[in-house]
Amino acid sequence: MSIDIYFGRKIVDSVLEKGVEDTIVRLQERVYELIIFDNGVLRSYNISRSSGVGVRVFINGSTGYGYTSSLDWDSISTAARRAVKSAKSLSRHGVSKKMLSYEGSKCVYSAPIKLNPMDVDSERKVSLIKELNLASIKKEGIVSAVTRYGYEMDRKIIVTSYGSEVDIDVRAVGISHTAIAKSGDIMERVHEQKTFIGGFEHIDSFDWFKFTEEIDGLALKASQAKTPPPGIYTAVIDNTLIGLLLHEAFGHAAEGDIVASGASVLRGKIDESIASTKVTIVDDGLAEGGYPVPYDEEGVEKNKTVVVNEGVLKRFLNSRYTAIELNQDLTGNARAQDTNFDTIVRQTNLYMLPGESRVDELFEGISIGFYLLGKGAMGGQVDPSVGTFTFSVGPSYIVRNGEPSELVRGTVVSGNILETLREVDLVAKDLKITTSVFGGCGKGGQMVRVGTGGPHIRVKRIVVGGI
Amino acid sequence: MDLHRIVERGLKKAEMLGGSEAEIFIVRELSTSILGTRKGLENIECGESTTVSIRLAIGKRTTLQTSVLSGEEHIDRIVEDAIKVARVAPEDRDWVSLPKSLGKTPVYDIVDDRVREPDLEMFIELIKRGLEGSREIDRRVYTSEAKLSLSHFVRVIGNTNYSPIESEKTMFSYVVMIKAAENGEETGYHNYYIAPTLNEFRLDKVVEDAVRIALASLKAKPIETGKYQVLLTPRVFSSILSSLIVPAVRADMVIKNRSPLKNKLYSEVLSEKLTIIDDGAAPNMPSSSEFDDEGIATSRKTLIDRGVLVSYLYDTYTANIDGRASTGNARRTSSMVYPDATNVIVLPGAQSLDSLTRDVRRGVIVYGTIGEWLSNPVSGYLNATVTNGVYIENGEERHAIKGIVVSGNIYEVLGRELVTVTKEYENVGSMMVPSAFVERISVAGK
Repeated sequence: MSIDIYFGRKIVDSVLEKGVEDTIVRLQERVYELIIFDNGVLRSYNISRSSGVGVRVFINGSTGYGYTSSLDWDSISTAARRAVKSAKSLSRHGVSKKMLSYEGSKCVYSAPIKLNPMDVDSERKVSLIKELNLASIKKEGIVSAVTRYGYEMDRKIIVTSYGSEVDIDVRAVGISHTAIAKSGDIMERVHEQKTFIGGFEHIDSFDWFKFTEEIDGLALKASQAKTPPPGIYTAVIDNTLIGLLLHEAFGHAAEGDIVASGASVLRGKIDESIASTKVTIVDDGLAEGGYPVPYDEEGVEKNKTVVVNEGVLKRFLNSRYTAIELNQDLTGNARAQDTNFDTIVRQTNLYMLPGESRVDELFEGISIGFYLLGKGAMGGQVDPSVGTFTFSVGPSYIVRNGEPSELVRGTVVSGNILETLREVDLVAKDLKITTSVFGGCGKGGQMVRVGTGGPHIRVKRIVVGGI
Repeated sequence: MDLHRIVERGLKKAEMLGGSEAEIFIVRELSTSILGTRKGLENIECGESTTVSIRLAIGKRTTLQTSVLSGEEHIDRIVEDAIKVARVAPEDRDWVSLPKSLGKTPVYDIVDDRVREPDLEMFIELIKRGLEGSREIDRRVYTSEAKLSLSHFVRVIGNTNYSPIESEKTMFSYVVMIKAAENGEETGYHNYYIAPTLNEFRLDKVVEDAVRIALASLKAKPIETGKYQVLLTPRVFSSILSSLIVPAVRADMVIKNRSPLKNKLYSEVLSEKLTIIDDGAAPNMPSSSEFDDEGIATSRKTLIDRGVLVSYLYDTYTANIDGRASTGNARRTSSMVYPDATNVIVLPGAQSLDSLTRDVRRGVIVYGTIGEWLSNPVSGYLNATVTNGVYIENGEERHAIKGIVVSGNIYEVLGRELVTVTKEYENVGSMMVPSAFVERISVAGK
């Protein structure tokens, strides 16, 4: 059985007959294809298909959520019945929540695709990944390489009692490559991925051998590099790294549920200056290069939300629940991994808007500093309640007399995100946003695809350390 | 959906499309979760999902595919995908066959009717008590989150060599996050309980323990870098065992040269104070079941006997390579089957925790750590950041500690440096372990 708006509307109508005040019905079909070559050997080739229905009801100030992976009417009725029973149980215990009302709208969104990857011969896909992987491990100095191909079709239908009828079909395809290079006793690992929204035409038209060669080359160079001299420096941060830092250290603190629970450093700071006037940060459902989220999973349109405008905090990211709690507007940020989960507040494509400087201008006047890069970054730890972050960044360059000079490995940056954003003195005009078919954000045990990025920026002072 | 019928249908389809062997494993899970936060009861989520995993061979070309099942006929599509992938898979020279026969071990206390058919009112009350109970113990603490989950699983497995078998199991889990605040400083500790039944669940103890440790973590100070005596509480000890010892006794890791315990069978690898058992059929333990994830009856086996390594953990594939029988330890993920521990039981010692604490001259009790996953099971190198711990001098607790990292070679820490294990033990997830008293561990502090 396939899913469509008509089926969703039928479920909404039947749920409304159970005496609920409002309901959101979500249907989903997903196909995920993953091929992994590990040191020349096919380690995994998986095609995973899933589908499901989720029903959220609101009764007397309480919500209940029911779901099923079966698409037959009996299973769906049972899921709805469970949702109603759950909400009524909470209501009897005096739970009294409010949900912001909204005017529903209709939308069909389908990301353009020319060649469906599932129609492409398996052997062709396997041989491309194998060749890329073998070419890597044959290089002198590369001791291990893992190359992956991923394709995802994610179709979501959201029908609500507020009149929203949303049908979204997004296909994403990409290749990732991890190279481990060894020089003496030093091993250095560099991982990078490239994802396109669309079909296999993107695999056919991109130079993947050049892509993996660059990763191998960076791993080799990094394995011969030194670790950086620790200290406080002026740094130029590239598009990838600023995206990661903003998502983890700032974006989560701007999520309405974290703010409402009192665990965000941004709580109570609306209309306050929290960053340099050069900084404007938005969460945009349809950013070029990012992951398309035209509507959220409460059926609310996801527009471009201005979170920070010229340094001033303007708005949090909200669901219908947190919008009421925080006395703000809806922003369309209620998202879920799949129908097995009810929604929580999530970012979509959160990034800094570009400025007016040329990238080379950012380096001018730096006698000694850093050019910090995101490619090969290993991630980090953040505490949104105080805004602290520690990030292991990718192989980066020391800047001497206005020019990137020698490469360094094992670079760690740390600080407080608000202090760091106040130190931004130049923002370049080169906006770049990327997404990934291999990962995303894992808040609350739910993986959702996001986009991250921004322009090159310059930060006057940042703590740089080495490991 | 009739799970047996789906297994039979899938196996027939696989044979018809040219599969020489096939195995179909279906799990239907019905689950309910209730969440409460500082603001009160938040939400109830309830639903069911059916997952199917198919392992298929065409000669020595094998594949494993996992999908969520939307209806009976969906199995045909999943089998077709598996056939398509197996045809392009390289030959696996080590592949012999799927299990030739399937079986069950009787296991007690793995199904609880209160979990299978939950009375929501009763469980809502448990959440409310978890939210309110901490404040009643001490005004400096509050519960920031309490969440419980109830699951009922039905598992059916069959292969082209043997008829399908079925088992059921329930699972109950309760997680509580306690925050303690004093003079502008805030600490936290999360405690949890997980078991197939409610038989041994004591909510008050779960909350009290979390409150005690959250309070003990206030006013934390760093300590000097150096070597210290260390008491690893059951939660920390179990986490170290799962990060470093369990991977090392997995036969697949041994075969791939990724275990420091390769070629160490029947040698002394840990202290004689340690006897470690893997028991897939222990009553009321989370990883107990009648059969493993490829249909082999579960069993109890000693892995380390008074410090001597006596067995690795096998599934059918690795057992075939080593010319042994499976130990009933197959675990299945979405893309592979491999041998893994079920429930790990460390036999307790003779001394009490109190008497050992009194013996500490200069040391720390470690209640909570993060980052054990950065430890390296291939080299046996332990590395963990202490989140909750207390510094002890001459048997007396001095102050809470923060920002320290413990590290060392696990085979030394649990070898010649292990003084003893306590007579008290706790169930921590799928482990039943005492506390471990270690004479010297490197501590990186200020």
